[in-house]
Amino acid sequence: MSGAPSPAAYPLLLWPQAASQSAVHVDWLIFAFTAVTLLLTVPIFLAITYFALMYRSGRQVDRGHTSDRNVKIELSWMLIPFFLTLAFFAWGAQIFDVEKHAPANALEIQAIGRQWMWKFQHPGGQAEINDLHVPTGQPVLINMISQDVIHSLYLPAFRVQMETLPGRYTQLWFKAERPGQYRLYCSEYCGTDHSVMDGLLYVMSPSDYARWLSQAGSSQSLAALGKRLFSNYGCSGCHGAGATIRAPDLAGLYNRPVPIDGGGSVIADDTYIRDKILNPDNNLIAGYKQVMPSFKGVIPEDELMQLIAYIKTMETPS
Amino acid sequence: MSPSDAVMRDPGTPQATMGRPSDYLHAQHTLRSWFFTTDHKRIALLYLASITVFFVFGAIAAGLIRLCLVVPNGQIFTNDTYNKIFTMHGVIMVWFFLIPSIPSTFGNFLLPLMIGAKDVAFPRLNLLSWYVFMTGALFTMATLVIGGVDTGWTFYAPFSTTYSNTYVIPALLGVIVVGFSSILTGLNFVVTVHMMRCPGMTWFRMPIFIWTLYATSLIFLLGTPVITLALILLVMERAFHIGVFDPRLGGDPVLFEHLFWFYSHPAVYIMVLPGMGVITELVAAFAQKRVFGYRFVAYASIGLASITFLVWGHHMFVNGQSQLASTVFSFLSFAVAVPSAVKVYNWTATIHKGNIRLDTPMLYAMGYIGLFVLGGLTGLFLATLAVDAHLHDTYFVVAHFHYIMVGGTMLAFLGGLHYWWPKFTGRMYPEAFGRVGAFLIFVGFNVTFFPQFILGYLGMPRRYHDYPPEFQLLNILSSAGSTILAVGYFFPMIYLTWSLWFGKRAPANPWQARGLEWTTSSPPPPHNFAVTPRVDFDPYDYAIKAREVG
Amino acid sequence: MAEPVGIVLAEHFSTVTQQRQAAKLGLWAWLITELLLFAGLFLCALIIRIQHPASVTLAATHLKFWIGAANTAVLICSSFTMSGAIVLSRIGWRAGMLRFMLATAGLGSLFLLLKGFEYYQDYVEHMVPFLSGPYVLAHDQASRLFVDVYFITTALHGVHLITGVSILLVLTWQASRPHFLARHQNRIEVYGLYWHFIDLIWMIVFPVLYVLNR
Repeated sequence: MSGAPSPAAYPLLLWPQAASQSAVHVDWLIFAFTAVTLLLTVPIFLAITYFALMYRSGRQVDRGHTSDRNVKIELSWMLIPFFLTLAFFAWGAQIFDVEKHAPANALEIQAIGRQWMWKFQHPGGQAEINDLHVPTGQPVLINMISQDVIHSLYLPAFRVQMETLPGRYTQLWFKAERPGQYRLYCSEYCGTDHSVMDGLLYVMSPSDYARWLSQAGSSQSLAALGKRLFSNYGCSGCHGAGATIRAPDLAGLYNRPVPIDGGGSVIADDTYIRDKILNPDNNLIAGYKQVMPSFKGVIPEDELMQLIAYIKTMETPS
Repeated sequence: MSPSDAVMRDPGTPQATMGRPSDYLHAQHTLRSWFFTTDHKRIALLYLASITVFFVFGAIAAGLIRLCLVVPNGQIFTNDTYNKIFTMHGVIMVWFFLIPSIPSTFGNFLLPLMIGAKDVAFPRLNLLSWYVFMTGALFTMATLVIGGVDTGWTFYAPFSTTYSNTYVIPALLGVIVVGFSSILTGLNFVVTVHMMRCPGMTWFRMPIFIWTLYATSLIFLLGTPVITLALILLVMERAFHIGVFDPRLGGDPVLFEHLFWFYSHPAVYIMVLPGMGVITELVAAFAQKRVFGYRFVAYASIGLASITFLVWGHHMFVNGQSQLASTVFSFLSFAVAVPSAVKVYNWTATIHKGNIRLDTPMLYAMGYIGLFVLGGLTGLFLATLAVDAHLHDTYFVVAHFHYIMVGGTMLAFLGGLHYWWPKFTGRMYPEAFGRVGAFLIFVGFNVTFFPQFILGYLGMPRRYHDYPPEFQLLNILSSAGSTILAVGYFFPMIYLTWSLWFGKRAPANPWQARGLEWTTSSPPPPHNFAVTPRVDFDPYDYAIKAREVG
Repeated sequence: MAEPVGIVLAEHFSTVTQQRQAAKLGLWAWLITELLLFAGLFLCALIIRIQHPASVTLAATHLKFWIGAANTAVLICSSFTMSGAIVLSRIGWRAGMLRFMLATAGLGSLFLLLKGFEYYQDYVEHMVPFLSGPYVLAHDQASRLFVDVYFITTALHGVHLITGVSILLVLTWQASRPHFLARHQNRIEVYGLYWHFIDLIWMIVFPVLYVLNR
């Protein structure tokens, strides 16, 4: 573990630690927005206080020649602050855009939120409960789902959070820069132990992370685990080589469009593949007779993630 | 084809003002005359009494929350009890206090008076509206007694539909019923403003408070049915598993969020708009000056009520909503800030070169302007996509909306209550105590909620019973502030009640303010005006007075 | 045979015209809220259709199209009879107006009977997924979303219709008393608005649920 102290070591924190470049950008945005806000509001507060005292009833002061409307002034004080603040809308939208597009080389960690704990699965098969270890200098993509109600994975040190939904995968990504111990939370109210569904986020140098991985006790990668499940659950019986049933070939399937009955196509992303396993009658595939059984209630979420990890590795034969 | 109308006066009602003059408060004394009244002024007082009682319950819940949060791993209540407490705090404060507060008390009392009418368009419907409100509210309060609800006031599926083990359905039914009360009030106000203005009272001669009440009523009519449906579907889902919000059956919990927020965002403007109207009245009266840019302010009220329906997705930036939708909602949320800013600048310009008196209502108004601006601008922070990705569901959001709801609406409510107290009751409140109360509330409020901005930015999520120890200092500070705030609230509760028997008797127009409500006695007679007013002057006709003094 | 027609001026109004217009505007405001209530359900139906088109089409084949169509005709006729009642109320022909009002109530009740029969048929065919018991389309989970929305929408409409018929019967009884038209003719007009609206909602429900998905 790196030598950085636990978050509880800070008795009075007034600013959260930033563990990524993106977090620093968000902090700059906030500083600048606060400055502009003060620019727009402090004069108002000063003006009101000044007027209230200057024009206090009983004071002999010139109160004449006031107009009750001035279209030019009113339009300016409507439009100028609006356009000023729009700069922040644009800045925020730009950072958000980056946050929505993970780089292709991101290390993908699977996460499941459930009442009231987090389970993380690293690609090498290492699993952790509530705590999360990540390396610096490498984009990390968290692909997550909820097993019951809506939860939300919140990593304040990276200034990001994303809800986990039942039935559909969501993602967040970050690139950690600063080793240390930080907090992670569930930030979407989910019942009794919502406030203790937190953990520690350990950001480590790549070598520390590699050492942790080797010590974390995993025999097989997610994809290898998935390959075993693929056989155990009988998927290879139809989708494998030498199958007698005509089933769609899964090689090279991931993120490719799949033509569906009735025209159109749908992209075979994580959510699609998971939905196909659980509800094969949805999105009937063009040119195939639907005979696949449903695995709803049979395959739990973490094994679904392992299966999908395996399916992603199935290459198109050359 | 209209028939020849035979006009008949129904001979049933006796003329109450025959013989000795009497005001609406003292004309009749029986319980029946209060609980079966159709007088909008008495109905306003019925609402005032009931929302005050509900406020006390909501405030007790708030006190318990702050008590719990003094220690990081609270032992005072269990997690489940804490969750029920914050849920009831939200449900009571939003639906049984804030939403009805200004419209159903000041709106009911003052709308006919300000436009020179004898009553609202449908007086019996007005009374029904109060009974519907009480039925729904008491029903939900009853669920408190029998065991409580722990879903949060937002009732998100699938927690509320499938996983919560509390009395969700009764709580929802109560809220659904209260919604009808809002709809009936909104309907009454809209028709009253269109149809009952006295001769000469054109739209642009109405006080701004009426404009904001009208805009609020539009939101009541257009928004409330959607939440009614959303909550009905929630009840159906929980009781019959219809599936629309359940992904295991092909439904989508995010659909509930859309239906919920489509109403609940405009709902916060229901809470904000009337407050803005009150502040406009206070600023004009205590600066003794016309409202600067009256037309812009009037249009801004309608503008707010319109754009507010287009921004609901800013509550859903991090629930997997598409980037495009989030970007559009963020942009529109920046736009909706514009009409609010207009009002603040206009108030400032109204005070400029006015003839200012710093009585209690004006203190509340000035406090409002400061706190509302801070609340509104922190709203803009939250509307910024990348910032919301950090601050969503943290204490920053809690601080933001309390600045608007308490620093804004509550201060406007108290300011208006003090301003119109002589009109409602015929008594003056003790000014010195008024100022102390206003000061305590302002200070207590800021000490309570400003630290929460910091807590939120530090990453403390909301609805947390247990929290990491590094947040304790700020939580203690916040809880300390809440005790000052509580003391502050006691002040008006006590001295306003005291003034009912011992306050100085008020003249018709103690503030030398302009507005039709001040042309009739304090308290007004049952039918508001001895003679129907005729209006040929602009609102806030202070110019002459200011020149005289200046 | 024609009676005097008018309304009693309530004391908070200054003219009868003001009172009539206020009542009309008030009811229109109420109807807008009703429209928005149902609009939410139509939105749900639309979303379900977009997300699960095959399931919706399958479920819709089990709807009783011809009962729905008959009900549509029944309601259209009832709107005519209600309009007739309004016209007759304006000229003071009490007996004729009462007959038209009863006919309207009768047609409304016929709708409810047909609807009840339709629900019974749904029950017999195991097309009621929210009750315990078999569901004939259980293999297609998403179909129940559409069926559930069908029940909620038609039940909500049915509740409005039951309320409407009840109020209509009370109004008919009131209108049968002497001097009603001289004092409260307005009520017939305003009530007529509500009845037409119940019809209008069905005019949207029928295509959205029954027709579009065939």
